[in-house]
Amino acid sequence: MPFAGFNMPINYKTGIINEHKNVRNHSGIFDVSHMGQILIENNESYLHKLEKYIPLQLKNLIKNRSHYSFLLNKDGGVIDDLIISNIDIKDKPYLYIVYNASRKKEDEEIFFSCTPNAEKIYNKNCLFAIQGPDSINVLKNIIDIPNNMNFFDILISKYDNNEIIVSRSGYTGEDGFELSIPNESAENLITDLLKNENTMLCGLGSRDSLRLEAGLSLYGHELNENITPIEAGLSWALDKERLEDKNLNGNKILSDQLKNNLSNKKIGLISTNKSMLRDGMTLFDNNNNEIGKITSGCFSPNLNKSIAIGYIKSEFNTDNPIFCEIRKKLELVKINNLPFVKKNYKKNGSVYE
Amino acid sequence: MGAYMSEKKYTKDHEWVSIENEIATIGISNHAQESLGDIVFIELPSVGNSVKAKDEICVVESVKAASDIYAPIDGEIIEVNNNLENDAAIINQDAENDGWIFKMKISDSNQYSDLMSEDEYKQFLEQ
Repeated sequence: MPFAGFNMPINYKTGIINEHKNVRNHSGIFDVSHMGQILIENNESYLHKLEKYIPLQLKNLIKNRSHYSFLLNKDGGVIDDLIISNIDIKDKPYLYIVYNASRKKEDEEIFFSCTPNAEKIYNKNCLFAIQGPDSINVLKNIIDIPNNMNFFDILISKYDNNEIIVSRSGYTGEDGFELSIPNESAENLITDLLKNENTMLCGLGSRDSLRLEAGLSLYGHELNENITPIEAGLSWALDKERLEDKNLNGNKILSDQLKNNLSNKKIGLISTNKSMLRDGMTLFDNNNNEIGKITSGCFSPNLNKSIAIGYIKSEFNTDNPIFCEIRKKLELVKINNLPFVKKNYKKNGSVYE
Repeated sequence: MGAYMSEKKYTKDHEWVSIENEIATIGISNHAQESLGDIVFIELPSVGNSVKAKDEICVVESVKAASDIYAPIDGEIIEVNNNLENDAAIINQDAENDGWIFKMKISDSNQYSDLMSEDEYKQFLEQ
């Protein structure tokens, strides 16, 4: 399937549902090399320029940690969501940013306007994610992983005598790792990982159903330039002090939104029958008034029902029934708290949500 | 095999049809099942409906997409495969036998002769 200029597999030979369950029960490997990866020198004047777009205090980012954040436009809308990490590479301090393939053009325009010598590395480094509770066991036979590595920690390790960037992260709701590895070693690494008989290659299809069960937002669906992180229910990812800083795009709009009521709210939905909820379907109240839209929908292998994320008007009382228009018929759907499936991240050696 | 059991034929919409004693059995081809991926739900047609060739009569939902199923020829729906109601994945396992979707009493057997033979369908897939 064509995806952001890449030809990507929706699934490999055993199918989306099998890949999905394998990640939840064991582990699965995703080739996400289509995503953007860039290195920006950790230099105060560059950071200051980037802080116009990124709602974090970039000079205070903890070394060897990753943060979920955004690039914001002047109205506080989301140009992209991204993971930004503070890490030394060959003894030089950098911000390492991973961003969406479909937003490379927009993002890079910003990165290069702030830091002319930013270095795109996605043409020379592949990016793989191994996800699922067994990921640590599969990986530590191949790469040195310290026992105290927590979710969203990031470090440099070695493979094939090459330096690779290892972060304990991912987008499936499971424990897991993302590995940025020079192209020449990529095939060996995949071959080594696949020697574990309980892991398998997984495609975009299961990546989508896994992130949806975990209630995670996807750019182009829950996020776009007309939605702020607050409207998307992601205010936890904003540094609140930065909302008072005029240097941040949309700071006034965002701080007003935090104090006042929003017009829409993000919700999780679950089908009451076997019908599939899909992106773009319209939601109604029991008087046939339109109250919102679905932004992502899929079949949930864990719940054996269709699930969805969408936005509805804030004033709608969610104790009342909600109907989804599916092929010109209105079908009852139920509100479900996000996430649909508990997150399974690692912190201080134990599992946390 | 009865004398009236005909060869299996295919439509350009990737459905198969076989006819016995003026009763047509219809499902989706193995190729269609493979392209759709895991099938999770089927909305079966209503028994007793009279339909025309090319009418949309029911929907197969896979993890990837919803696909309309068309009547391959004119006729009346006389039976549906209720096993699919509980387990639509039967279509993935055996699309062209146990995964049959509905049966029709056909009104014009000439329409059947116009459909593709298995060899013609294979060629059609290669185009």
